[in-house]
Amino acid sequence: MPSRIIKWIDHRFPLTSFIKHELTGYPTPRNLSYWWNFGFLAGFVLMLQVATGLFLAMHYKPDASMAFDSIQHIMRDVNYGWLLRYMHSTGASAFFLVIYIHMARTLYYGSYRAPRELMWWTGQGLLLLLMATAFMGYLLPWGQMSFWGATVITNLFRATPFIGDEVVVWLRGDYAVGDDTLTRFFALHYLFPFLIIGAVVVHLVALHTVRSSNPSGIDLADKDNIPFHPYYTIKDFYGLGVFLIVYFLVVFFFPHSVLEPANNIPANPMVTPDHIVPEWYFLPFYAILRSVPNMVGGVVAMGLSVMIFAFMPFLDRSRIPGGAHYRPVFRLLFYIFILDILVLGYVGYVPPTSQTIAIGQVATIIYFMTFLILPFVSKAEDKWLFKRGLPPKILALIASEEEEKRKRSMR
Amino acid sequence: MAELDDLDDTGRRDFLLKVTTVVSGAGAAAACYPFVASMNPSADLLAKANTEVNLSGVTPGAMLSVSWQGKPVFILRRTKEQIKAMAANNGGLYPEQDSDRTKQPEWLVVIGVCTHMGCVPNKEGEGWTCHCHGSLYDDSGRVLRGPAPKNLEVPPYRFIAADKIMIGEA
Amino acid sequence: MNKMIALFALFACGFPASADEIKLSKFQIDTSVLAVERGVDAFMNACHGCHGLKYVHYRDLANFGIDKDKIAAWRGDSTLDSAMSSLISDEAAMQSFGIVPPDLSMIIRAREGGASYVYSYLIGYYLTTDGKTGNHFFPLTKMPDALDISSATDPAKRSDLQGKAHDIVSFLAWAADPHEAERKTLGYYVIAYLILLTILLYNVKLDVWSKLKA
Repeated sequence: MPSRIIKWIDHRFPLTSFIKHELTGYPTPRNLSYWWNFGFLAGFVLMLQVATGLFLAMHYKPDASMAFDSIQHIMRDVNYGWLLRYMHSTGASAFFLVIYIHMARTLYYGSYRAPRELMWWTGQGLLLLLMATAFMGYLLPWGQMSFWGATVITNLFRATPFIGDEVVVWLRGDYAVGDDTLTRFFALHYLFPFLIIGAVVVHLVALHTVRSSNPSGIDLADKDNIPFHPYYTIKDFYGLGVFLIVYFLVVFFFPHSVLEPANNIPANPMVTPDHIVPEWYFLPFYAILRSVPNMVGGVVAMGLSVMIFAFMPFLDRSRIPGGAHYRPVFRLLFYIFILDILVLGYVGYVPPTSQTIAIGQVATIIYFMTFLILPFVSKAEDKWLFKRGLPPKILALIASEEEEKRKRSMR
Repeated sequence: MAELDDLDDTGRRDFLLKVTTVVSGAGAAAACYPFVASMNPSADLLAKANTEVNLSGVTPGAMLSVSWQGKPVFILRRTKEQIKAMAANNGGLYPEQDSDRTKQPEWLVVIGVCTHMGCVPNKEGEGWTCHCHGSLYDDSGRVLRGPAPKNLEVPPYRFIAADKIMIGEA
Repeated sequence: MNKMIALFALFACGFPASADEIKLSKFQIDTSVLAVERGVDAFMNACHGCHGLKYVHYRDLANFGIDKDKIAAWRGDSTLDSAMSSLISDEAAMQSFGIVPPDLSMIIRAREGGASYVYSYLIGYYLTTDGKTGNHFFPLTKMPDALDISSATDPAKRSDLQGKAHDIVSFLAWAADPHEAERKTLGYYVIAYLILLTILLYNVKLDVWSKLKA
């Protein structure tokens, strides 16, 4: 009986062929490590945020005079409202943690290289959408930090040439962050996740075109690919189990670790809190913003610090695949970069002193330098590594890639 | 792609898979509960399930209209003549004794929602008239005329003092 | 972590208060019904005149398990459904103090240091040389010494007032997070379930992957 129904559907919709092509018959390298679990986790957290967000939206009031009260209503009176709220606030942090690890994996293993540039760029687009969504979502509780964080960040658009002031007013819908800003941020915050879902579909279509990279950097032979289902479906579910333990430990036992105390005070346009600080996932970029003494310069530096990732396929001029796997200098650069980001995060968190500003400026320079020296370092390292000797498989792959390039340029 | 090994020890495998599936399913189902529960009335609304009404200041013949669970409730303090008139017969289309509809004959407490399509009837002289489709109720809330299928509903209520009632619990 | 450091730094600043308060860097919140009940009592006497809790309703106290009669005594004319608002109007407060006393529904969560800070603040009043009161933890405060601890020199009296402050803070901690007990209980069940599920999933994973020829 079920097979008859499936046959009926298959006649009218590519159900079975889709499942076969994308799941049960989709070849995946057999050597993927657990660092490859994070894409699936990101998709899961997205669904979690949409679900909790939807049910929160049934009780939340996007009006400046009611927003804070409606959050209290959710936390105190709505059945399991407190659980929905903590899941959503923890989920936002979890989303960024997963995405940053996912990006780190891609950078480490050089998975942004041809032919996966579009994957990297769709990912970049997804990161921007996520940052916008999180920023707008943070205004919604209408606490002191919500209000003043939004004030500071919308102010940055004043850096737009010629029409800066008008842009800021246009964004806010008012001369200062107010009720109009709140309502439109709510509308957009509700919309953006669905744009993210669309972008994820594009990201996955790209993935299924070029197939997953793997820790060795070399495309494995057919016999070393295994069907995604059941091998990676079960591995993803297991990874999900581990993730959920950590996630729910925070939700149930440490939910306040991601909630700023100042945000438990209703927004007051007359009083700025001593210490305005964004959520942890924005701290490194905030530090870069503050490192440049000039306002426009700071905005440009911050924007560049996010966008510069997009240039990785061009900045990394090494012909050796696999990212840091065979390249010790690249690996060192990677670790320096991670450390630098942590330092920037710390600088972004603490109140600025002459010491921390200096550290922040050094860290900002290091941040950009790791990208800018990459073309030269990667080429130099290549020379050194070829001389030292590389595994034959790598040399074979490089040779075949050169062939491909030559053939394409001759056509 | 790699060939799949022949399955051995399938019994244990199947059991493990079954148990895991059941445990996962139970968890997924349990996870839905808070979402569904959050849609039920919140604690502050449940508290408003009961409304206390102070009856002092309502003169004989006058009517008080209060909100209970979002609906209007008519509280009519009937004069001696009105009480006599209501006791004299059992109403029009759906006969009911007036004494069955009150706890104290002086006070009539009915939900002010027409039992036909839900409009709020107006107090006009004797009884109430619903201007949506013309139903007419007497001073006991009983249907005299019109498409209304039932007499006005008497909510659960009780006297908690001589001049106070609590609507919501009998 | 940063909160702990900040609080320790505050304590380390050194001030002529008795040693036992300084050591209380981790305030043991007691959110049992009895402690909260004592806290509401003390709150009604010492704080309710100026401070309100607009997000806490009297019925919340009843749902928590406090005796309805006690609540009736506290709420007076206000209904069970109403919020615990202060007895003083905003205008009158502005006149008397120059500031509206903050609502206390979320005060434990709205201050760095949480319950430890609020407790230390309440018992941190001292008498200055010209007979006025100051506060070690919030020198700019416009709030008078509600518990009158600055003039309590007798150790028994001090201890009694500290107990009152402790109860008040316990009540405020409950008020800021009334679902905490429920949250933690549910948390234990959820984590236990997830550990079980993850172990099962791990075994299925090993099982499935064992099918692969080396």
